Amino acid sequence: MSYAIPERELLHPGHVACPGCGAAIAMRLALKALGDDLVVIIVASCWSIIAGPFPYSSLQVPTLHSAFETGGSAASGVKAALRRRGRPDTTVMAWAGDGGTFDIGFQALSGAVERNEDFIYVCYDNEAYMNTGIQRSSATPLGAWTTTTPVASPKDTPKKDMVAIMAAHGIPYTATASIGYPEDLVRKLQKAASIRGSKFIHILSPCPSGWKSEPEETVKIARLAVQSRIFPLYEVERGERYTVTVRPPAVPVIEYLRRQGRFNHLSVAQIEAIQANADRAWERLLERAESGA
Amino acid sequence: MRKVLMGNHAVSYAVRLARADVVAAYPITPQTQIVEMLSEFCAEGSLDASFIKVESEHSAMAACIGAASAGARAFTATSSHGLLLMHEMLHWAAGARLPIVLVNVNRAVGPGWNVWTEQTDSLAQRDTGLIQIYCESNQEALDSVLQAFRLAETVRLPVMVVLDAFILSHTEEPVDVPSQEEVDAFLARYEPAWRLDPADPRAFNMLVPPEHYMELRLLIQKAMDDALHVAAEVDAEYGRHFGRSYGLVEAYRLDDAELALVTAGASSGTARVVIDELREQGVPAGLLRLRLFRPFPAEPVSHLLAGVRKVGVIDRNISFGQGGIFAAELKAALYHQPQRPQVFDFVAGLGGRDITPATVRGIVGYLLEHDAPPTGPLWWEVKA
Amino acid sequence: MKSAPSRPAVGEPIVFRRLDDLPPLPVSLAPTLANKTGTWRYLRPFYEEKTSPCNHACPAGSDIVHWIRALRDGELEAAWRTLIAENPLPGVCGRVCPHPCEAHCNRNAFGGAIAIHALERYLADEAAAHGWRPARLAAGHGRRVAVVGAGPAGLACAYHLARLGHVVTVHEAEAEPGGLLRHAIPPYRLPRNVLDWEVSNIEALGVRFVLGSRLGDNLSPDELRGVDAIFLAPGQGRSRPLGVPGEEAAGVVSGLGFLKRVARGERVDVGRQVLVVGGGNTAIDAARTAIRLGAQVTVVYRRSASQMPAIAEEVEAARAEGVEFRFLAAPVAVLLDGGRVRGLRCQGMRLGEPDASGRERPVPVPGAEFEVPADTVIAAVGQELDERTFEGMDLRPEAGRIRIDEGAATALGGVFAGGDAATGEGTVAQAIGSGKRAALAIDRWLRTGRVEGLPPLGVAPHAIERTASPRVVGPEDLNADYIEAVPRPALAERPVELRRSGFEEVNLGIPAEVALAEAARCISCGVCTGCDTCYIFCPDVSVARAGPCRYTINYDYCKGCGICVHECPRCAMSVKEEEGQ
Repeated sequence: MSYAIPERELLHPGHVACPGCGAAIAMRLALKALGDDLVVIIVASCWSIIAGPFPYSSLQVPTLHSAFETGGSAASGVKAALRRRGRPDTTVMAWAGDGGTFDIGFQALSGAVERNEDFIYVCYDNEAYMNTGIQRSSATPLGAWTTTTPVASPKDTPKKDMVAIMAAHGIPYTATASIGYPEDLVRKLQKAASIRGSKFIHILSPCPSGWKSEPEETVKIARLAVQSRIFPLYEVERGERYTVTVRPPAVPVIEYLRRQGRFNHLSVAQIEAIQANADRAWERLLERAESGA
Repeated sequence: MRKVLMGNHAVSYAVRLARADVVAAYPITPQTQIVEMLSEFCAEGSLDASFIKVESEHSAMAACIGAASAGARAFTATSSHGLLLMHEMLHWAAGARLPIVLVNVNRAVGPGWNVWTEQTDSLAQRDTGLIQIYCESNQEALDSVLQAFRLAETVRLPVMVVLDAFILSHTEEPVDVPSQEEVDAFLARYEPAWRLDPADPRAFNMLVPPEHYMELRLLIQKAMDDALHVAAEVDAEYGRHFGRSYGLVEAYRLDDAELALVTAGASSGTARVVIDELREQGVPAGLLRLRLFRPFPAEPVSHLLAGVRKVGVIDRNISFGQGGIFAAELKAALYHQPQRPQVFDFVAGLGGRDITPATVRGIVGYLLEHDAPPTGPLWWEVKA
Repeated sequence: MKSAPSRPAVGEPIVFRRLDDLPPLPVSLAPTLANKTGTWRYLRPFYEEKTSPCNHACPAGSDIVHWIRALRDGELEAAWRTLIAENPLPGVCGRVCPHPCEAHCNRNAFGGAIAIHALERYLADEAAAHGWRPARLAAGHGRRVAVVGAGPAGLACAYHLARLGHVVTVHEAEAEPGGLLRHAIPPYRLPRNVLDWEVSNIEALGVRFVLGSRLGDNLSPDELRGVDAIFLAPGQGRSRPLGVPGEEAAGVVSGLGFLKRVARGERVDVGRQVLVVGGGNTAIDAARTAIRLGAQVTVVYRRSASQMPAIAEEVEAARAEGVEFRFLAAPVAVLLDGGRVRGLRCQGMRLGEPDASGRERPVPVPGAEFEVPADTVIAAVGQELDERTFEGMDLRPEAGRIRIDEGAATALGGVFAGGDAATGEGTVAQAIGSGKRAALAIDRWLRTGRVEGLPPLGVAPHAIERTASPRVVGPEDLNADYIEAVPRPALAERPVELRRSGFEEVNLGIPAEVALAEAARCISCGVCTGCDTCYIFCPDVSVARAGPCRYTINYDYCKGCGICVHECPRCAMSVKEEEGQ
């Protein structure tokens, strides 16, 4: 056993994720991290399908499927009920995609974390509406192709900085995580579970179908996102204390971009701009981490 | 114990007596006092519940769905735009078979802004799978909320109890508030067969493919069918416990009536006064008050109206392009009767415009003067 | 109200026959196991062990990657047993082998090659300390084999034959077994007790040694004829002459002769100035030995430093101990004073066009002659076959070697050959591989009358059959994301000032904790270490552990995404198209 990750398997095979689905790995690791004293709320997303059709479920923990925009609100209700039913320590995890988090579920999420509801909100981010056929969301990165940001007019605004927004709520714990760094991901979920109040974990989950990447490269691409500083791994405690948790040697963003067909059309100048953005964001992150505020 | 309570507070007392576990709500006029008092109850400890002060009505219902799914008795209250914002989750609550109780204070829908009474908000939830109960008094509001939990938990469907903005919600009436012991004897703790429980891990509300979807929908329909007699039984049992019951519909002086008014909500009291006047004048008039709207009590309605020649429905609501919603429902229920009364559809009192005894007298006058209704609804007391 | 229905058998689809069979709400009644997503797959991942570059590079055919894995797991005896399954002389090789395995180690790009020789020596020393002995693999067949020569080839052949159940007698010309290991390699590189222990392991398998028995001298071919097979590994007993005037003079000695006399414990007076001619390991051994006898030593070599065939570390150690080097200098005459050497006249050289060996040919620089004073000149310019060895046998060496085929067979029926006599001058590991080849060939020949399945000459044979794919794992096959550049540990040596005064071992070996850390640093190219990477990243929960360093793939559910194969740090998995696609 070379990974500091709990043995217990709480996801069944037979789920219907696409081959090489990053979100499937994310869920599997999250369940391992949190164990079986857990209730999961899945809002409309690929995972609404992946989990399996009636009368089956691939999750071995109680699971509530709920409407698209209800991650924060449904979880609040579940937690209140568990408290009433004598299970105050059962972990509640809301599980939503980027659409359900950055866009349609943004309000309910903001409301729930403002109330500091005691739950973990996980956004598994595949950077577009994948289940509906790859439409742009506010998590889609600058320059990316989607079916609603075609090559002639790719996404012309940067990805929303969801972690900063969550941190600005002053909640106890906010973190990014990657399926390419499973121990870091598991540690963060376990840390989140040990803290009372609202926790937000942002997991980048490569999507071979939507990113036009090879299924076998899913983990590699997730790792490259971190190595290229496109998606740094860090945590924010009480909205203030920034800590960079993984600092791999830097690789140029082109290594990340070139493995994904959604970036095929980018010009050298656009790639340089993405590199500059990544460098700037990384510097800013380091400043925050070093200043301790 | 008798108290003088406004309708909203009668609801709050009922929710406390029902020992709701979770209340999730968002303020909206004219409902707000319900949840203000509930938050007072929670704060003072007289109601041992979690009050989730959500950021929208959509979240209120979503939180109730989460709570009920995990085995809690859940309550919310709203009105008008709030109810419309909840709409998606009302379907969800019914499809998930969750016995959530919702109180809607009937209020007109904007634009323009209008906070006064009208039934269009609640009737627009006709197809969500919610059971709907319309109240005429503050006492009935309290009693209906207690009945609603019992009914909801028996048939596994959410129940909406409806009361009129201001006419009931903000008007103080004497209300008999039963004791906690009496209510506990009537309403047992909520123990669902399935709930989110780590000891019996199951998934709820997942993808349902076409091969199963219709059966699950049929089961909702069957639950609605059951709700008709369960509602009657619950009402009857409530009567045995507390001495008050209301029926699914209320027939007032209908036995030999040739002319009937059909109402729902607070305007029924006004209509009852006019019926008494008519009877004194020798006009064979009666009143049918719809208390249950969903499931629609077609059988008692058509039975009660079987011998009536003319029916005037006072619809404080409008389905644009069709007409009054109660009238349309009534006509559908009567269609199979060999002897059908003429049904006149009066759209009146929208947006809080008063329905006075004079309004009702005018409607009766029209009925007496006409043998058959015109095509389409009669917009009553509006400028030509 | 319905109660919760019981779950059906796991993996069975749920069938609702009547409306009443359904629950009233969308609730799960079973896991998704009835959904066999393996039907989606068109690429099939599978575990396929491949050949590590160290294994591929080892002339003795050592299964390095596996014994390092066992060592990493703390299974010392198992590691040693895997080690000696191919090579009976790990204590020797761990000290004297130039370790081509390390030159090919994929770790070179990630902090430096694994110190394989140090690990090999560590295991051998542990085995000696614990008294572990090799065991026979097969019961006795009663077939008798004579081995001529107890050098590394003869010892390896005898060892493998004995392990396979044969009755082996080894004829050794010298008074003690070991060949060049005993007589040429100085004890500061190879302490004699190490050699003795490993020879005793071979004796413990029942091999009989007849010492002082020299073929072509006091051992006649007729005496060998009663056996079922003969293995000839007499080595290259004769030193090449310098081929310059005056080399018969007193004070001019051969490298091998010099080393042998010192190794025997004779007092050898080399005077104050010693010149060693040559650039091979014998030259360096002679130079370092002469240093230990108190002389000032200069190595004269006709090519450049980088062209020296000697082991680079040995050259470096020689320099550290004070040996000086004159490169691009070829002897042209031994200078005499009376009958005794007084120096050497040398010709200055430069590098010209490449020769047959690919090295730039040294060519004389006109007029660049010089003299170097010397009390002793040690000629270490190579050895050759002593053809007298085969007198009375119908064997005609060609180009100084006995010709053998892939099955180590000579032209004479039942006579096999190996070692330097057959392959030309080689390393100890090459000799061990050669002796093993002959043992495997003899065993097959004796049992079946045929010799099949041995690799071509130049490719190391394996006593234990390998299932690994022959594909050699290169650095590009590894997943560098998982390989941290951890530096190779420093290997301790006896301080230079203590070395020059005696023959105690120079290399001090590595302590247990360093050995374990170094084993853990091994990438294990092509060979599963049970690192769990395939398991942890499977999106379809289709990889299961099946024992130490073993996993199974559940093809009922595996969708063939290939993440396991792509992520495997060490290329221990492969992917192929599903049949019927």
